[in-house]
Amino acid sequence: MLHIENLNAHYGLAHVLQGISLHAERGEVIGIFGRNGVGKTTFLKAIAGWLKPSGGRVLLDGTDLTAQSADAMNRAGFGFVPEDRRVFPGLTVEENLRLGLLGVRVKGAKSLDLAFDRFPRLAERRQQPGNTLSGGEQQMLAMARVVLAEPTVVLIDEPSEGLAPMIVAEVFAIIREMSAAGSIVLLVEQNVHEALAVCDRFIALERGAVVLAGEADSEPDRSALLKELAV
Amino acid sequence: MPDIMDYLQFILAPQMLNGLALGISVVLVALGLTIIFGLLDVINMSHGEFYAVGAFTALALSALGLNYWVLLALVPILLLPVGVLVERYLIRRVYDGGDRHVSTLLLTFGLALVIEDILKIIFGPNTHRPATPLPGATEILGVFIPTYRLALIGIGFVVIAAVALVVYRTRLGAMVRAASYDRNMAASLGVRVGWVYSGAYAFGIALAGLAGVLLAPIYSVFPTMGHDFILLAVTVVIVGGMGSIWGAVVAGISLTQVQAISALIISPVWGDAIIFGVMVVVLMFRPQGIFGRIGHA
Repeated sequence: MLHIENLNAHYGLAHVLQGISLHAERGEVIGIFGRNGVGKTTFLKAIAGWLKPSGGRVLLDGTDLTAQSADAMNRAGFGFVPEDRRVFPGLTVEENLRLGLLGVRVKGAKSLDLAFDRFPRLAERRQQPGNTLSGGEQQMLAMARVVLAEPTVVLIDEPSEGLAPMIVAEVFAIIREMSAAGSIVLLVEQNVHEALAVCDRFIALERGAVVLAGEADSEPDRSALLKELAV
Repeated sequence: MPDIMDYLQFILAPQMLNGLALGISVVLVALGLTIIFGLLDVINMSHGEFYAVGAFTALALSALGLNYWVLLALVPILLLPVGVLVERYLIRRVYDGGDRHVSTLLLTFGLALVIEDILKIIFGPNTHRPATPLPGATEILGVFIPTYRLALIGIGFVVIAAVALVVYRTRLGAMVRAASYDRNMAASLGVRVGWVYSGAYAFGIALAGLAGVLLAPIYSVFPTMGHDFILLAVTVVIVGGMGSIWGAVVAGISLTQVQAISALIISPVWGDAIIFGVMVVVLMFRPQGIFGRIGHA
């Protein structure tokens, strides 16, 4: 179980995360919504080890992982697909994917073939540098290199941004697969309607704090969320 | 016509081969410098002093009776832990605080002064001249080349090829390039970025030490020997593109050839002026250098 307790973070004097708490069970997809600049990306970065929290705790299956480095979080079972994909531009598709295999905890459990079977478009482009791929292909690559490690927790930031509807559908299908495989998914997404279709629960943030929490399949909760985001 | 052939055979060709020997050595120093800059974003002002440390370590160990060819492998290996310690306990302490370029530049400059003084205290300020491990000359197409310089060129090419192979064709190299592009993303995929940084710094220092061992029999060994050489290496890194491995190779060999040929055509005193002039022109019209950073070319 993922348990986030009263997480706080600062950028200099700015108090950007103000005591966010959240828990999630295996296989759950949690949507994290809110307008621009409310702290959604910062929340994921603070969990992933990109930003040191100034308070609070991150626990996975009872182990305290607060303020661990990003590589330590990877070894603890966290995968991160950040905004803008962050594909390594001068590395080939294959090299990008091989880096994803660093996170494989059971040696030999996964291979590149598995990624290429699931993402045949990447197989066709395996020797191409990452920066020559289209936006959709880069998103697939960013997700594939995280999927390979079968992380316990996957943090995904704005995966549908700037993508064609067909690719967006593919992205959400992968999120469903990760959830079905038992991963906990924390999903930051502007495309609320699409995201709610894959989420089990959601939270909404405002000025770095949770202002609303609800069930994705509850109509009153969804209405409250849409009302909150429309303000 | 015979005069031209004699000029080519007895003056120009030996001069160009001497330039190539110097170029290969400069490339070895510049490679370390450019890898450290490309990955850590640190201008290592103590790089020339580690080149001197390599030469002095070889000098001291050869006095104990160790074979030169053993030293060629041993000295870079001995410098690896030194590099790890310097990165972990000095550079990393100032790395994330304030202006990284200024703080690391001042730190490594201070380290250079300390190393230089330690070398003066241990070995004295005088010049040492180790014996050439391969005396004599070898005839190639009628041109007599000092055998040791030929060996240096060969060893240099092998080392450069090995570095390129590791950086561009291995998983370790992919991790280094990934950390160079995006430290956070690489770490989130499981790359131990701290170790990659320490390893890259240590590797760069080891390459400088190797160049020191290689050049000790050709140039004299003295505590300030790193000064002139580091200027040339920095120029090579700037012209080639800061952080570019191929840039360092191309610029290192080209600039030393320009220096060698201009010494014949104009005058040896113009060599440095021409090379630094090229650097100024590159900075004015292509400030990123001929190539980009690690992995870009």
